[in-house]
Amino acid sequence: MKIELKNIRKSFGSNTVLKDVSFTITGGEICALLGENGAGKSTLMNILGGVHHMDEGSIHLDDKQVQFSTPAQSLEAGIAFIHQELNLINDLPIYENMFLGRELKTKQGFLDLDRMIRETDVVFKQMMVDLDPKTMVRDLDASYKQIVEICRAMMMKASIIIMDEPTTSLTDQEIKRVFTMMRTLKENNVGIIFISHKLNEVIQICETFFVLRDGQLVEKGNVVDVTTDKLAHFMVGYDVRTEPLIREKRQGNEVLRVEGLTYKPAFRDISFSIKKGEILGITGLLGDGRSELFQAIFGAEKVSSGKVFLNGKEVKIKNTTQAIHEGIAYLPRNRKENGIIRDMNIFENASIVTWPQFSKRGVIQSQKHAMEFEKQRQALRIKLGKLTDSINSLSGGNQQKVVLAKWLAAGPKLLILDNPTQGVDVGAKEDIYDIILKLAEENIAVVVLSSEGQEIIRVCDRALVMYHGVIQGEVARESMNLHNIMSLATGGKLT
Amino acid sequence: MMKTEMVINNNFFRWFRSKWTEEPLFSTAIAFLIMLILQTLVLGFDYDSLGSWFQSWLNNWINILRNNASVGIIALGMTLVIMTGGIDLAVGSTLVVTGAFTMILVDTGTKGILAFLGLTGFPAFFVTIILVVVLGCLLGSLIGLTITKGNVPPFIVTLGAMMIFRSVTQHFMQGYNPKVPLEFLQIASFKMGNYMIMPIVYWAVIAYILYYVSKRTTFGRQIIAVGSNEKAARLSGVHVHKVRLRVYALMGLLVSIAALIQVSRIGSMDFSNAGRGIEMDAIAAAVVGGTSMSGGRGFILGTVFGMLIIAVMNNLLNLFGVPPFLREAFKGIIVIGAVLLQRKEKMA
Repeated sequence: MKIELKNIRKSFGSNTVLKDVSFTITGGEICALLGENGAGKSTLMNILGGVHHMDEGSIHLDDKQVQFSTPAQSLEAGIAFIHQELNLINDLPIYENMFLGRELKTKQGFLDLDRMIRETDVVFKQMMVDLDPKTMVRDLDASYKQIVEICRAMMMKASIIIMDEPTTSLTDQEIKRVFTMMRTLKENNVGIIFISHKLNEVIQICETFFVLRDGQLVEKGNVVDVTTDKLAHFMVGYDVRTEPLIREKRQGNEVLRVEGLTYKPAFRDISFSIKKGEILGITGLLGDGRSELFQAIFGAEKVSSGKVFLNGKEVKIKNTTQAIHEGIAYLPRNRKENGIIRDMNIFENASIVTWPQFSKRGVIQSQKHAMEFEKQRQALRIKLGKLTDSINSLSGGNQQKVVLAKWLAAGPKLLILDNPTQGVDVGAKEDIYDIILKLAEENIAVVVLSSEGQEIIRVCDRALVMYHGVIQGEVARESMNLHNIMSLATGGKLT
Repeated sequence: MMKTEMVINNNFFRWFRSKWTEEPLFSTAIAFLIMLILQTLVLGFDYDSLGSWFQSWLNNWINILRNNASVGIIALGMTLVIMTGGIDLAVGSTLVVTGAFTMILVDTGTKGILAFLGLTGFPAFFVTIILVVVLGCLLGSLIGLTITKGNVPPFIVTLGAMMIFRSVTQHFMQGYNPKVPLEFLQIASFKMGNYMIMPIVYWAVIAYILYYVSKRTTFGRQIIAVGSNEKAARLSGVHVHKVRLRVYALMGLLVSIAALIQVSRIGSMDFSNAGRGIEMDAIAAAVVGGTSMSGGRGFILGTVFGMLIIAVMNNLLNLFGVPPFLREAFKGIIVIGAVLLQRKEKMA
């Protein structure tokens, strides 16, 4: 099967999103669709998926012109779109999710549970997935949800699968799992359109690539002919750094020390410390407990035993308000769920943390906030229209910078960044790394929590690797490499 | 000629459309305006005796506003409660509790508490107002504490409180007929010029204060943050429990003010019927005003308009002579219609 999109144009109002873009994919091919946020990738795929309608251009399926006016038609033609926000119902078991909307029924009209379970099992076997179809989707981790979606697409006999940033919320181990599955799909002659910001993954798994920039196709070709640097260059239009970032180190007194912190089953017996001006990396696979640990330090989660010292003094942090008072900032993972507040505008999202701080008798001092935000906006290079625009009008990278800005406004002494570059494009990612380094130079203690080994290697002075809720080991800057991190993260020892 | 006209129309339509989708209060204000025009027409506009026409128009309006002042005040609090993603079904019963408490305090008979203590006249009224407001706050806090510390959904807590408060009041107030002194009635019945507008004044002042609070204060903005995304709010250092607790306490306070107004308007209260269904009227006003039941979005001014729309409609139905049993149906239509009109996707 072969799909061709020819000379697609699309605009929303006065905003032209796609200018004359052509795109081709055939069965058995894994094709990367690259571009920064706002480059037009999603729009192009939404046109292919029948969600949006193109203004000009045509879609050809095996050289026959077709039209997709609804997602159902596109699906009918064998195109499955796996969205970044997965379309699974948490409160139903896997097999019912697999047959959602096309439930199998018995002659009497009841749901034929046995057959649905059996057929789900068949697909799982075929795809070499080790899952019980009766598991509730709620109990699956992100990678398995992704896999269930892929299996659902396979069950519907999809011949082209669009995967929109499937690996963003996954750990290295789980990414491997998804990749294995993608290779199996490829062998079954399924074409995959892989949308991702992680260029090393693109090099690993894809064969061809298309790069969009500002709604135009700027480059296409075979992945064997390029490097990640080159791809990054195509995406942003200039050279992007990839080397470890070095800075002058002036480490001061200890800011945070943790002794025997425990909250089972998330984490247990955690002890470490961090100094002023230090960048400490924390990494591990999913279920390592690092997010829970730092949310607990931040007062958002509970602790059952252990001690926390700030600047040498023991503190008991009961809630996040108190944590901020003590000079701790926590940029959460999963920006959409934990970071931004949709009903508030950009300015409010950027100032919520400092409302109590910059207020007189409870009345918010907007002027002061505006000045502070202007400073942050310049430092972080946030691109925005009006301050009062909706937060949703910003790209992922800029949203993340706004979330970061609200923390910097509070003037923290300890900054915890949980997956700071999640869903952020290449350019913004480098901006955020720069900021992290600059903050460390300003004597702030920075903790970077990340599932990307590469990220840890590039920015951190040293790293703690967690495994199932305990610190498995520490990697110093000199011995920091993916191999060492991975062997600790999987429960091994440094050799 | 034709062409210019089309362009103007087109521009107007575009302006209207963008206002409608972008300005949350626009549709509510338009609806109110239509109601107002209808009402003016029904009252019969009369060029010849403009003065007396205006007089009757004004009287009609003062009546409408005064009759809706206590519900209007409660609806303002309800808006804030709904903005946090919660609801308060207990307002009617809280009204009865605080109303009963007011009457016990100011009673000039043998059972009156303050009279027993030897406190009468204005000092007694002053103390009454303070104590009643404190009681309202306490009852609200109690609800708020059960919701936050007990982690019980607001719907359940306030449903329970609704039953408890009224039942207890009815039981203990059986056969008790307090005498409310005439001077106390001045709180609501004091005449400015020739008009009895004190309840309207209270309503307006409270609406203004709450408008300011919701727009400009930390508390007001944190309400939106909590209602829109509780988790993100908490991770931004917002003390979610404190915000919730305060909102319900404020709700109780506003209800107690409404109770003071009600008692001082008629000098008595029917404990089995007063405030029944008032929670639904308050919710309806908030919803018509553009407040989202799922939280995070709400407008104090919208609720004032929403209240007025419902009130003017009642007045209109009255003037048209629609049978009383049918009036609730119109209210229902307005509520659903308002939400249908406010759906953004449809216009955009």
